[in-house]
Amino acid sequence: MSVRADNRLADGPMHPVGCGSCGAQVLARKSSWQQTTVQWDETATATCTDWDPGSATRGRFPVCEQMRASIAQAVVDGLLPVVDTRS
Amino acid sequence: MTQTTDEVRTIEAEALPTRFARGWHCIGLERNFRDGKPHTVTAFGKKLVVWADSSGELKVLDAYCRHMGGDLSQGTVKGDEIACPFHDWRWGGDGRCKQIPYARRVPLRARTAAWPTMSQDGLLFVWNDPEGNPPIAEQAIPRIDGGPDAEGWTDWAWYETRVDTNCREIIDNVVDMAHFFYVHHAFPTYFKNTFEGHTATQLQRGVSRDDLRPSEKAIGGPKRKGNTSVATYHGPSFMIDDLIYHYEAMDDVRTVLINCHYPIDENSFVLMYGISLQRPEAEDEDPAEAQALAEKMVATTRIGFEQDVQIWKNKTRIDNPLLCEEDGPVYQLRRWYEQFYVDVADIDSAMTDRFEFELDTTKPNEAWQREVEENLARRAAEDAPVPQDA
Ligand code: FES
Ligand SMILES: [Fe+2]
Repeated sequence: MSVRADNRLADGPMHPVGCGSCGAQVLARKSSWQQTTVQWDETATATCTDWDPGSATRGRFPVCEQMRASIAQAVVDGLLPVVDTRS
Repeated sequence: MTQTTDEVRTIEAEALPTRFARGWHCIGLERNFRDGKPHTVTAFGKKLVVWADSSGELKVLDAYCRHMGGDLSQGTVKGDEIACPFHDWRWGGDGRCKQIPYARRVPLRARTAAWPTMSQDGLLFVWNDPEGNPPIAEQAIPRIDGGPDAEGWTDWAWYETRVDTNCREIIDNVVDMAHFFYVHHAFPTYFKNTFEGHTATQLQRGVSRDDLRPSEKAIGGPKRKGNTSVATYHGPSFMIDDLIYHYEAMDDVRTVLINCHYPIDENSFVLMYGISLQRPEAEDEDPAEAQALAEKMVATTRIGFEQDVQIWKNKTRIDNPLLCEEDGPVYQLRRWYEQFYVDVADIDSAMTDRFEFELDTTKPNEAWQREVEENLARRAAEDAPVPQDA
C-alpha cells in the first residue's frame, strides 16, 4: 500500500507559517477562511508551548490557539493565500 | 491547475496488503471467554484459540497444534493448559508444550505462536505484530474514562458482526464528514481531525435533524438537540468515542462508544461496538432503565453501521479518491494508517507527525439545511388536506 498525494494540493500547496508566540514553523493551507490544514514536524511539535490536548469529556478539541491565530494573521497579512478567494 | 475537461478519471486500487496491522486489537468482551472452554477466533488470516487459565488470565495461541495439526480450539482446558483433542498434548499460554501424557519427554522446539493479551474495561485485546515483537509500551490502550468499571455507568451494550470487505473502509470513516449526513442522517456542524503518533482523532459537533429524528424514534427517547463527539483511534483498530448528547429538556448524557474491529483476513473483518452511558443522577433512577437505554442506543448505532455496511458491500476500493475541499483528509489518514503495515524500522515520520485538518462546514451546512427544509415542506404538503378544487 503506497499512499498517494492529496489531489487538492494541486490546486494550492502548503505554505510555511511561523507561530508568533513560540516561533514553531509549520506548513499550513487554507481552502477557505474557515478551513485549515496544519502539518507539524517533530521540531515544531517540540517547540510549541501552547498545544492543548483538549478534553474529550468536556468536548474540548486539541489545538494550539497561538498557532491558530498566527495562521489567521498570515492570511490577513497576505502571507498565506486562501485557495477559494471567491467566498 | 488546468485539466482537459473530457479526460476520464480512472479508479486505481493496488492489491490488498498481505500483512495485518501491528497493534492491539480488541477481540470482544472478556467475560465471553471466561466460561472454562476454549474459543475459536479467526483473525489475522489465522485460527486462534482463546482460553482462561486457572488464575483467570486469558491466553491466545495459534489454534493448530504443532504435533499433527489438531485444532486446539476444539480441545479442553486442563488446569492452566489447553489440551489438544487429537493426542492430548498440553500447551501453555506462553506457547510452550508443557506435557505429553503418553510420552517420556517433550521434544525440543515444542513451541507455538502465542499472542500477548491484555484485559481491561471488560474487553480482551490481543497484540498483533508481523515482526513478532512484544507490545510497544506507548501504544497501550488507555483506560476508559467512564464505562462499565466506573461508578454509575451501565455495562456494555455490545454488538458484533462480520463485514466482508477490507478493514480500510471503516478507517476511512474517521475523516468522512459528508457521509455522516448522507449515510447516517446526522448533521455535523463542526468537524476536525488530528493525527499524531499512533492516534487519530475525530472531533465532531452536530445537531439533530428536524426532518428525521431516527435515533429518538428508534429508542423512544427524549428529544435530542445535538451531540459533541471526541473519538480517537488508539492504534489501527480500537476507537474510544466520548460522545455527549445534548437534550432539549434534560441534562447532557455522557456516553462512551467503542468502535473496534479485527481483521479475519484481507477481505473481511469482525466489527464490534459497544455503548456504556452514565446514569442520570436521579435518586430514584433505576439501573435497569439506564441499561435498557444503553441497549436501545446500541441498536441505533447498529442501524448506523448497517448503513455503512450496505455502502461497503457495493462500493469499490479506491486508492485515488477525488476529493473536494469540503472532504476530510483521506490521504493523510491513510498515510497515518500505513505506519501499522510497515516494519517499525520503516515508519516514516510523515506517518506519525502531528497533522490537523479543520473542515469548513459552511457550504455543507447550507446545502443540508436546505435539504432538511425541503423534506419538511414535502412532508407538510403530503400531510395537508387535499384542496377542494384539485
Ligand atoms: S495434533 Fe495435537 S496432540 Fe497431536
Ligand atoms: Fe459511517
